[in-house]
Amino acid sequence: MKMNKIYEGAHQWIMYGRDPHKPDKIIDTNQYIVRTADRCLLIDPGGIELFAPMLAAVLHHAPVEEITDLFASHQDPDIISSLGLWDQALPNARLHAAALWEGFLRHFGCETIEYVPIADHGGVIDLGSVDLQVIPAHYLHSSANFHIYDPQARILFSGDIGAALEAPGAPMVVDNFDSHVEKMRYFHQRWMPSNQAKRVWIDRVRTLDIDILAPQHGRLLKGDDVKRFLDWFDGLQVGIAV
Amino acid sequence: MQRNKSQFVAVASIAAELSAVMEVAKEISLAAANAKAIAFRAGEKAKGFQPITDFINELAKETIQLVNDINEHALKLYRLTVQVQRTTDARKRFEKVSALAESATHRASLSGALQQVQRRQMQYRRAFNADVSELLAQLADVMHPARAARVIAANSRIEASQAGEYLQSLQAVAESVDHAAQIINDKVNRCRSALSAIRGMD
Repeated sequence: MKMNKIYEGAHQWIMYGRDPHKPDKIIDTNQYIVRTADRCLLIDPGGIELFAPMLAAVLHHAPVEEITDLFASHQDPDIISSLGLWDQALPNARLHAAALWEGFLRHFGCETIEYVPIADHGGVIDLGSVDLQVIPAHYLHSSANFHIYDPQARILFSGDIGAALEAPGAPMVVDNFDSHVEKMRYFHQRWMPSNQAKRVWIDRVRTLDIDILAPQHGRLLKGDDVKRFLDWFDGLQVGIAV
Repeated sequence: MQRNKSQFVAVASIAAELSAVMEVAKEISLAAANAKAIAFRAGEKAKGFQPITDFINELAKETIQLVNDINEHALKLYRLTVQVQRTTDARKRFEKVSALAESATHRASLSGALQQVQRRQMQYRRAFNADVSELLAQLADVMHPARAARVIAANSRIEASQAGEYLQSLQAVAESVDHAAQIINDKVNRCRSALSAIRGMD
């Protein structure tokens, strides 16, 4: 599992992905942690198959008792089917996820971890030394979907928005936006169901000061590529399967 | 993993067999009611048959009650199977984390969770095995009314032979009870075999 520190300030953001031992037929995912002095938030911790390499990687940065928070952007298996294992590994953790999905996510096993339901309008994840904003991204693609914005690091974790279907071992950062577009096009057109939801999200996100757009699949978009992406996404017709 | 899969299959097959046993027990109860009506109509000719119908009905009720109890137990066993599967899987994956995290600064912090999952796995396995033994004993109890029903069926045939024009109807009741008891016997035996097999895996 590759580990990349993508922000270092009063707290850190670390990105994990490109696990070389991942079974071929499961989609590659990016996981992130926000590490403060004594707390650690796992963002979209991943599927069951990824649990062991992911926890092994996180142990380079935090002990299990300091992994205090998990966030699931939505209910898909590649996001959070590992929940039942985290539930047995973490002695004091909370899961921040949509209120709408609580009854569904508990099927993965959630006895020890406290489920903190997120209302439709979003909220805040308080990690003590840093507050992270939970940004609604409903219907992109899941009917209850959230992203995380860190105003200090100016990072937007954008879930499936900005995602790309990549060959194994692809670089972590977009280096040529124009050629990268083709890796994102079908994913967004087919997985995202609503042009209206897309417009609402773009309007909301344009008000944020973003240095890095960090998706759950594919590569990071940095600097001017963030604006390029929003403009490209704005003009894209989604929901093409109907 | 194979062990867990066999546990799930065994527990699921018990639920299916018990559901069939319940249906058959209800059929016996219906046969008893039918026999009672016939015996009433036959009057003196089926005098010996009348107490038998009550007995058949009692046996059916007893079987239904036992199967209800066993069903509750089987549900508990299913939940334990899930816990055994979850802890076994977690243990395996925690051990993998430990191996992968050889050079990680905080590797030692996992040891508490690993020990706890090992303890819970053993605890659930012990509870599972104890439950299997209890369930086997309960299944043995269901065999008693089934065996008694077969004896009653034989007596019923004798009593039916005295019932003149009601002979055929009462013989049909006896056959029906005998057949149902045989089905219960077979199905309960299948449950016991499935359970004995997973108990033998430890």
